[in-house]
Amino acid sequence: MRLTFNGGPREHDPGPDDTAADVIRTVFGATGTKVACGAGVCGACTILVDGEPKVSCLLPAAHLDGTEVTTVEGVGGDHPVQRAFVECDALQCGFCTPGFVTEAVAFHDRWRKDHEGTPSREEVAAALTGHLCRCGAYENIVAAVRQACAGVFDDREPVPARVEAPAKVAGAAEYTVDVSLPGMLHGVIVRSRLPHARVTVKSPEMSEKTSPASAAGRPVAGFVRLLQGDVVRYTGQPIAAVAAETPALARELAERVTVDYEALPSVVDPAEARRDGAPVIFADAAAQKAAPSSAEGAGFPGRWRGNVRSGYASAWRGRAARRRLDAAEERNAPGYFAATFTTSGQSHTALEPHASVADWRPDGLTLHVSTQALPHVKAAAAKRWNPPKVEVVAQHVGGGFGSKLGLSTDVVAAVELSRRLGRPVRVAMSRAEELTDTGYRPGTRSELRMLGTPTGGLAAISLDVSGHGGVSTGSMVATLGLLMYGRGPRHFRDRDVIGNAPPASPFRGPGGPPFAWAVEQGVDEIAHRLGADPLKLRRTWDGNRRRRALYEIAAELPLWRDRPATPQTGRYRRGVGAAAANWIYTADVDTKIELTVRDGRIVARTATQDIGTGVRTVIRNAVREVFPDADVVVEVGHSDAPHGPVAGGSRSTASVGPAARDAAGKLAAHLGGKPVGAAEGVTVLGERPKDRRGSAVPVSMDHLRVGRGLAGAVHITEVEVDTLLGHTRVTRVWGGIAAGAIYNRTAARNQCEGGIVQGIGYALYEERITDPRTGVVLSANLEDYRLPGVNDTPEMTIHFHEDGWDHVPGGGVGLGEVCTVSVAASVGNAVFNATGFRPLDLPIRPDRLLEGMPR
Amino acid sequence: MTEYRAGGTDLMERRASGRSTGPIVDLRDRGLRSIETTEEGGLRIGAMVTVDTLATDPALSAAYPALALTAGALATPQIRRAATLGGVLLQRTRCRYYRNEHYECLKTGGEGCPARGNPGERAVVLDVGPCVAPHPSSVAMALLTYDAVAEIEDGPRRPVAGLYGDGARDHLLDPSDLLTAVVLPPPIDGERAGYKRATGRASAEWPLAEAVAHLTVRDGVIVRAGVAVGGVAAVPLRLPGVEAALTGHAPSEELFARAARLDWTPAFPETAYKIPVTATLIGDVLAQAR
Repeated sequence: MRLTFNGGPREHDPGPDDTAADVIRTVFGATGTKVACGAGVCGACTILVDGEPKVSCLLPAAHLDGTEVTTVEGVGGDHPVQRAFVECDALQCGFCTPGFVTEAVAFHDRWRKDHEGTPSREEVAAALTGHLCRCGAYENIVAAVRQACAGVFDDREPVPARVEAPAKVAGAAEYTVDVSLPGMLHGVIVRSRLPHARVTVKSPEMSEKTSPASAAGRPVAGFVRLLQGDVVRYTGQPIAAVAAETPALARELAERVTVDYEALPSVVDPAEARRDGAPVIFADAAAQKAAPSSAEGAGFPGRWRGNVRSGYASAWRGRAARRRLDAAEERNAPGYFAATFTTSGQSHTALEPHASVADWRPDGLTLHVSTQALPHVKAAAAKRWNPPKVEVVAQHVGGGFGSKLGLSTDVVAAVELSRRLGRPVRVAMSRAEELTDTGYRPGTRSELRMLGTPTGGLAAISLDVSGHGGVSTGSMVATLGLLMYGRGPRHFRDRDVIGNAPPASPFRGPGGPPFAWAVEQGVDEIAHRLGADPLKLRRTWDGNRRRRALYEIAAELPLWRDRPATPQTGRYRRGVGAAAANWIYTADVDTKIELTVRDGRIVARTATQDIGTGVRTVIRNAVREVFPDADVVVEVGHSDAPHGPVAGGSRSTASVGPAARDAAGKLAAHLGGKPVGAAEGVTVLGERPKDRRGSAVPVSMDHLRVGRGLAGAVHITEVEVDTLLGHTRVTRVWGGIAAGAIYNRTAARNQCEGGIVQGIGYALYEERITDPRTGVVLSANLEDYRLPGVNDTPEMTIHFHEDGWDHVPGGGVGLGEVCTVSVAASVGNAVFNATGFRPLDLPIRPDRLLEGMPR
Repeated sequence: MTEYRAGGTDLMERRASGRSTGPIVDLRDRGLRSIETTEEGGLRIGAMVTVDTLATDPALSAAYPALALTAGALATPQIRRAATLGGVLLQRTRCRYYRNEHYECLKTGGEGCPARGNPGERAVVLDVGPCVAPHPSSVAMALLTYDAVAEIEDGPRRPVAGLYGDGARDHLLDPSDLLTAVVLPPPIDGERAGYKRATGRASAEWPLAEAVAHLTVRDGVIVRAGVAVGGVAAVPLRLPGVEAALTGHAPSEELFARAARLDWTPAFPETAYKIPVTATLIGDVLAQAR
C-alpha cells in the first residue's frame, strides 16, 4: 500500500490482520500513537485518516492505502489545541493525551471553519466521547479545547503548567511500551487455564523460526519457567514465559508450551470459600506464609481457619462497644444503625499497561519498566538476580494507582528471559492480562454497627470486614476506624476470605473507599434517623480540627444549604450527600535532590518517577522559588540519581518539595549572591529536613516514615436520579482538602478532580466480574470494565484548607489518596437523599437501584 | 471459515482475540457506498455506507428519522466513522463469554451456553434461546420498523427481519453470502421519531435496553406507528402489538402509557428490571416522536 504519512510518502505491505496502530508504531516507528484498550473503547490510538479521527487499533492497516494519515507527531507540537493542553494542564500521566489531542485538533479545525466564539462544554464533550482518561483530567481537557477554539492560543506560546507537558502533547514523551532496543525480543506469558491444579510444564519444541539459535549463533527464542512449586491457584496465574523475534511468533511459541493439568477442587466465590468443607486453598503454614499480599508493606498478623484468615481485633474499649450496641439494638435506639455493605473489586487499569524491557549484559542489567517504585524495583532486582549492577529507567509512566509497586510478572519474565537469551526482551501486558492479573482493590463485605447520639458523639461502633482479594491476604479496611470520629468505644476486625481468583494489590488509598462506603453512609443514616444535619453531626463527632474547618466551610455552600429536605416524588430527583475521609501523612525521609549547574542551567536530579502527579514540576518550582529566573532542568526516571521516593502512599510531594528547597538553599549559599553561571560544574545535595516534634512512628520502613497528623477531605456531591431508568448522574461535587500548603495549585486541583472522577467510577460503574465456576475474569476489556468518561464528569470545585501543617517542612503533605477516599460514599448519601434508597452494594447499578428503591 | 471485512470494528477485535481465524475478504474496494433513490421512491443504502453517514446524511435523516437517531446514538464518534451498515447488521454478539478466549459456546462452534448459568443483569429478559446475550444491532432494530429489505449478492432479497432467527446464530446468512445493500420503502411525509437507550454511564455504552419509535399523525390521528426495542432478546424485536395499540388513535400521554405496557415474563430474575425499563423507554420515545 501507499499512503501519505505525516506529510511524506510511505509504502508498506501489511498483513491481513495488521492494524493501523501496529504498522504506525512498529514499522513507521511513530510511537506517539498509543494502544491502551485494543478494542476501540478508549481512543488513545486515535489518528486522523483524511482528516477524520479514527481508532487505529481496530482499523485494518490495509485500509490506509491511498489515504493521508496524520498522527500526533504530524500535528506538530504547536497547534492551538496542543498549546492549550500545555497551559491548561489538560493531562496527568499523558498516555491518553495523543488520542485526545488528535481528536481535539479535528474538532477544533472543523468547528472554527464555521463558528466564532467558544463551543459549549456539551459540544466539546460530545466530540471527545470516545476517549478515556484513567487519571480523570477531563475538566481541564474540555477547558483546553474550548479555549483553543476561542482562539486564546492562536498568537502566543503557552506557559506550561507542568514541565513535561510539551513532550506529552506532541507524542514525544517516551513510555516503557515505546522503548525498542536493537535485537530486542518479545515475551509472552503462559498462564493457567484452570483455577486450581497441579501442573507439569514442558518447554516447547523449537521450530525453524523459533530455534534456540539463529545462523549467527544468537538465540532467537527461549523459554523460562515462572511458577514456583507445581500448584496453580487461579485461572490466569503465570506459569512460564517465552520470547521470540516478534509478538506473533512469541504467541505461537506460547501455544506450544505443554502444560499438563491435574485439576484440584476449587472455590472462587468468597461466600462459598468461607463455608465448612470448601476446598482449602492454602493447606499448611508454609503455603499460607507464601500467599501474596495486597497490603502496602507488612500486612496485619492473622489466624487461619480454612480459607479465612482473621486479623486480631483492633479495639478501644471493645467490650463496652459491643455491650452498648447490643443494648441499643434491643431497645431499638433511634441512633442505632446496623447494615451489611459490599463493594466490588476495582481494577486500576492504568492506560499504559505493565511493561518492562530488560537488557541483561555481562556488565549489568538495564531495566526499563513502567513503575511507580523505581528505587524499590532497583533494590529488589539487585537482591533477586544479583547482576554486577542494576540501572532502572522510567522516563514517563502511564499511570499506576498502586498497581506498579513491585517486581511484577512483566519485570520477572523480561529479566529472566533476557538473562537466559543474552538479548533485550520486552514484556507488555495485554489489556485482558492487565484487567486479570495486575492486581485490584479487593472486594469487601462489611458488617457495620453504629450507635450515635446527636450531641454526645459516636457512642459505639463495630465493623467487621471480609476482604475478597482472591489468593492474596492483606485487605485492611476496618482497622482504619481507629483514626476516625473521636475516642468512643470501638471494635474493628479485618479478615481475608481466600478464593481461587487472582491476587489483589494496593489501590489509591488502600482500604479507604470501602471503609468510607460503610461508615460514612452509617453516619449519614444516623443523622437521618436522629433528624440531624449530617455535617453538624460529623463536626460534633470528629475531633480532627483540620476536617472540622472543612465541615464549617461546606455547611455554608449553597450546594449544601439548598439540598432537598423531604422525601421527593416525581421521576427525576435531585439529591446531595456529604462524606468525609482522612489519610495518614507519609514522607520518604531519605529523599535527596541533587542540583548541578551545567551550561548555565540548574539540573535537578533524583531517583523518582512521574506517574502523572507532576513531581517534576514540584521540584522545578521549589528551585525557582530561590532562583526565579534560572533555567531549571529536572531529570527524574533514572535510578542512577540520588535516592528519591516511591510514588505511593501520597508521599512524593512532601518528600521532594522540602529536599529541593534545601538543595536550592545550599546552592544559593554557595553562590553568595553571584549569578548561577558562576557555579558552573558545582553540585550540591539537598536533603529533606526533619519534621518538628518528630514523626508518629519513630522508625522508617523502606525509607517511609509515617508523620504526625492526618490529611482530611470532605466531599459534597449532588446527583440526579432517573427513578424509572435507574440512572444516576453526578452533577456537581465540592471537594474540600485539608493537606496544608499546596505546592502546585494547578496540578493539585487536577489530581483532586481525578480523584473525584475515579470515585464516581467506583460508585457507579466499575465492577470486577469473575466467573464463579472457572475463576475467569469476565470484565477483561474496557467495554465490560467501565471507566467514567468525559460525559460522566460533574462540575467540580476544589477547596484547599492550607492551615495546620506547620510541623512539616514546606507546610504541606500529600493529597493523592485522601482526595478520592470519600467520593463513592458521598454519591451513596446523595442517592439516599434523592430516592430514600440506601445503596448497600457497590457499584450502584441501575438494576440495583430499581430493585431497591421504595415503590 | 472465510469472513468478509467491512469497517473492521467488530472483526479486528475478534481477530486479535483469536475468535476469528479464517481467511478475510476485504470489501474496501467493492464500492457499496452509495445511497440511491429507488424506482418506488425509497432509498437503497449501500452496505459499506458508514454509521456516521446514516446518522448525519440530511436526506436520509429527513426521510427516516428513526434510523438516523438510532445510528447517531450508538458507540462513539470514531466507531461510527468506521463501522458500516452491513457490518452493524451482521456483527457478532457482545456476550462477555463469547468474547473471552477461555470459553467455547454454540456461537464459537462449540456447544451450550456458559452464560446461561451466570446471566447477569445485561442478559436477555425474553428468552428465545439458546443464547442469552441480547442482539447487539441497534440499527437492525430501527430498520425493522421500516420494513426494510436486505439485498444479497447472487441471492434473493429478504426482509431485514428475516436476517435474524432464534438466537442460535447472530444472523442467518451463510458465510459466503454478501449483504450488498438495504432498501427502504418510500418515506412518509411528516413522520416524527424518537430513540433512547438505558445505560449506566452517560454515553459510549452498549444499552441495557433501548427503544425506537416513529409516528405519522394525520388530522390528529396516528395513521402509522413503528416501534421496536433492543437489549432485551437475542434478536432485535419489533413490537406489532404496541404499534396496533397506537394506530387509529389520537396521540396522548395516556395512549402512550397504555400502549407501552408489556406483559412479558422475565427469563431471569437478574433481568426482570428490564421490563419496566423497556416500557419506560417506549413511553419516552413515543413522547419524543409526538
